[in-house]
Amino acid sequence: MVDAARQSKIDLRAYTEVERVEGFVGNFKVTLREKAKYVIADRCNGCGDCSSVCPIEVPNYFELNIAPRKAIYVPMSQSVPLIYSIDMNACIKCFKCVEACGPLEAIDFSQEDKLVTEDIGAIVVATGFSHFDPSVMEEYGYGKFPNVITSMEMERLNNSAGPTAGNLIRPSDNKNPQKLAFINCVGSRDKRFNEGCSNFCCMYSIKNAVLLKQMNPEVDITIYYIDIRTPSKGYEEFYDRARKMGIHFTQGRPSLITEDPETHNLYVHSEDIALGEVIEHEYDMIMLNTAAIPQPDQNKMSSVLNVAQSPGGWYMEYHPKLRPMDSPTDGIFFAGACQGPKDIPASVAQGSAAASRASRILHSKEWEIEPTVAVVWPDRCVSADGKSCGLCAKACPYGAVDYVKGKAAEIITAKCHGCGACVAECPHDAITQLHFTDAQILAQMRALLAEEPHKKILAFRCHWCSYGGADLAGTSHFEYTANERGMRVMCSARMDSDFIYEAYRLGAGAVLYSGCHPQDCHYITGQLIGAKRAKRLSTIFERMQMTPGRFRIAWISAAEGDKYARVLNEMQTVLDNIPEKQLLEEIERLKPEVTKRLRRFPNVPGVQDAMDFSDMMVTAITTKESSA
Amino acid sequence: MSHDNSIETFADQVKAIPGGENLEICYSCGTCVSKCMIQQKLEPDFNPRRLLRMVMMDMREEAFESPTTWYCSQCDLCYSACPQEIHISAVIAAVKQLAVEAGYSTPLSTVTVDETLCAGCGICVMACPYEATHLIQKEVAGVMDLFSEVDENRCMGCGICVAACPLGAISREGVSNEEINKQIKVKNQKFAPSLVIFICDWCLRENDDLSILESYPANVRVIHIPCSGRIDPQMALLALRSGIDGILVCGCKPGECHYQHGTDITTCKINLLDTMIDQIKLKDHHVKFVQIGTQERGRIRQEIDNMLETLTARKESH
Repeated sequence: MVDAARQSKIDLRAYTEVERVEGFVGNFKVTLREKAKYVIADRCNGCGDCSSVCPIEVPNYFELNIAPRKAIYVPMSQSVPLIYSIDMNACIKCFKCVEACGPLEAIDFSQEDKLVTEDIGAIVVATGFSHFDPSVMEEYGYGKFPNVITSMEMERLNNSAGPTAGNLIRPSDNKNPQKLAFINCVGSRDKRFNEGCSNFCCMYSIKNAVLLKQMNPEVDITIYYIDIRTPSKGYEEFYDRARKMGIHFTQGRPSLITEDPETHNLYVHSEDIALGEVIEHEYDMIMLNTAAIPQPDQNKMSSVLNVAQSPGGWYMEYHPKLRPMDSPTDGIFFAGACQGPKDIPASVAQGSAAASRASRILHSKEWEIEPTVAVVWPDRCVSADGKSCGLCAKACPYGAVDYVKGKAAEIITAKCHGCGACVAECPHDAITQLHFTDAQILAQMRALLAEEPHKKILAFRCHWCSYGGADLAGTSHFEYTANERGMRVMCSARMDSDFIYEAYRLGAGAVLYSGCHPQDCHYITGQLIGAKRAKRLSTIFERMQMTPGRFRIAWISAAEGDKYARVLNEMQTVLDNIPEKQLLEEIERLKPEVTKRLRRFPNVPGVQDAMDFSDMMVTAITTKESSA
Repeated sequence: MSHDNSIETFADQVKAIPGGENLEICYSCGTCVSKCMIQQKLEPDFNPRRLLRMVMMDMREEAFESPTTWYCSQCDLCYSACPQEIHISAVIAAVKQLAVEAGYSTPLSTVTVDETLCAGCGICVMACPYEATHLIQKEVAGVMDLFSEVDENRCMGCGICVAACPLGAISREGVSNEEINKQIKVKNQKFAPSLVIFICDWCLRENDDLSILESYPANVRVIHIPCSGRIDPQMALLALRSGIDGILVCGCKPGECHYQHGTDITTCKINLLDTMIDQIKLKDHHVKFVQIGTQERGRIRQEIDNMLETLTARKESH
């Protein structure tokens, strides 16, 4: 950190919050709130004279509130940059600090928060993680029994710069504990709180146990665990070393901690899985290894940065395996635990990767994006006629649509990722997606449904998930109906209602509307838009009294080849169960209904041509066949 | 419910019964086992984790014979602690249902109905937390009438119905009205205040706490009952009449009751009893109900000492 501060090309902005992020890759405009420190940064030399005269003491957040700090303070002794600031919620304005500062005149009570806007090329988010509060788990008695503490609190007590100068004491009587226990997975791997594994706690508890044992070989340490996870290089060897040092490892998640009301000693109740017996052991002090959870303001930041969150609340990466440091938004990268709990080596690796990804942007004059971007036909956009609409802007997961009433909507091409949500949502067909135009999709559909359409199942698959699922079904040799006809679009959000109506107008037997699971969507919220539309369509078809199962919605991930095959086979069964005559009658009955809903469709540029062309081809093929 | 498909695995059968669905996600952490009071106090071989494993490994007979299948009283202490949110008692109930279908029956001692006394009023049906009692039309000693009948495989032996029956027609071995009344009638110690403690079998988790109970002199009398819901106000009045100064009833904390809602029933009963004692002006006497949680180690000593202090103070002031 000190190194970073010395670099002339690194500009550290401590005590500053990101308020707003506008623009796009290479051209971000970031608004920062530089919070008032009430100390002039250029003048403060970090001597600390002000702090020593300050009469106010408040809980020290850095010491996890087990030690005090002054109202004029630095967050920790190794702070970089070493500049003091005043906590105005605590300050009583006695101005003793001003007096102590003397000729430096660094203290300025008139400072106010400042908003500054900077031009930024790329953003690396490294906001870290927070800790689960174990007091909600009554069974462990944290907050009720004084000698139950978290491992982070123990680290502060055991730290030579901490409140006890490295003397580990029991909070109840200030004695050095002789029998200690660590409990792993407190609030993690627990469906009631955080479903995921916190990744580093196993190693972290072993490290702490080894440290304590090295300081005092007499102490008796037990680690309670569900599974010990030591997957990286050298970790298993470290685990071995800890066992050889005499640290006890007990497999079994404690269900209850009770306390002797007189001695404040604690009893841990757990099953020893290896023995198959319930055990109860007495300890002087217990440390809880609490779950790593997202920062409390992670939701707020995710909307400021316009990046998605995974189900646990962590920031979602572009691709879990191939692009773990990229956000779905170009030019924004993740480093460290803000993207998911990880240990120091992994955080460093990801940080370096993110920095090099970011520097690639800073060194390029041009930036390549996917060619499948959306384009507006300004003459078709009703906003240009002064009507309010803005559905495209509402649909866009990336904020790439510049919509102002009275002006045709515009796509900021650099921000567009090509999901096609705006294209399908536009009620006036004023937007098209390059390489996935309505005409192109229509031509494919008509070709696929050219012969005996009532026997066919037209499957709309999104590029990232269900298309991959279908692929996997193929490579895994999962058999499914040969009547399936697959159509690829980039996202389920691109699956226009018009396509579905057109499929039924062409006489398709069944239509599958498939895409990613909501949390896996490649386009942040694209699946939600697709899912909403699909639900609306299924209600419409229900009202038309279409046989249930002829329109099917299924969310299939790229790993669910079996599900893809199963869904298709189920759809085939539905078709098999309808007598052919009845099915043809139903298709004819619904045709006027769907045609009514398609009245605007032929006006879309290119669609009529595509229809004429494909009709011509079909006629040509059929006449050729019949003449042969 | 019958299972015609013979190739269906045991796990599939259990999962088909509502409540049994989540069985597979158990990662064997043992939380349920160490939380369980039955394991702690009654049957060391009681092990829900192992029962779940038996189901997964298709060990049908072993599961049906396991005490885990029969002893679980669905207190759901384990469910509230399970990190995988598996409704363990529901899985056990599903196994039990299959066991009963396969012809196995409970090894527990259950309540019995004396049909010569039963009037078919149905109060026991309302009182039972397990829907184990029901009324049936049958002929007893030449009389065709409604009688209470107990489903042995459902009855957990809490004794709530024994206390509820207005005619004393239901009894349970060890805690019948006669047996408890016999324990109450003791000679009063002349000077010390005398105290009767009705203690539920489950509210004291620790062995230390049980030894606390034994450490008091003879003027403190301890009567063990399966559930605080077994308390009959009549028993309390009988104790007061035989010269006892105070009665302390100990049960589980609400939500931790071993028999689902026995402790809530007791709260109502004790409130009524208090009112009654007020009305008949037994001012020197005192009845108190305490609900002890699993984490309240040592609280029982505090409660007994407080009670004795109160009683001494009352005695002296008269």
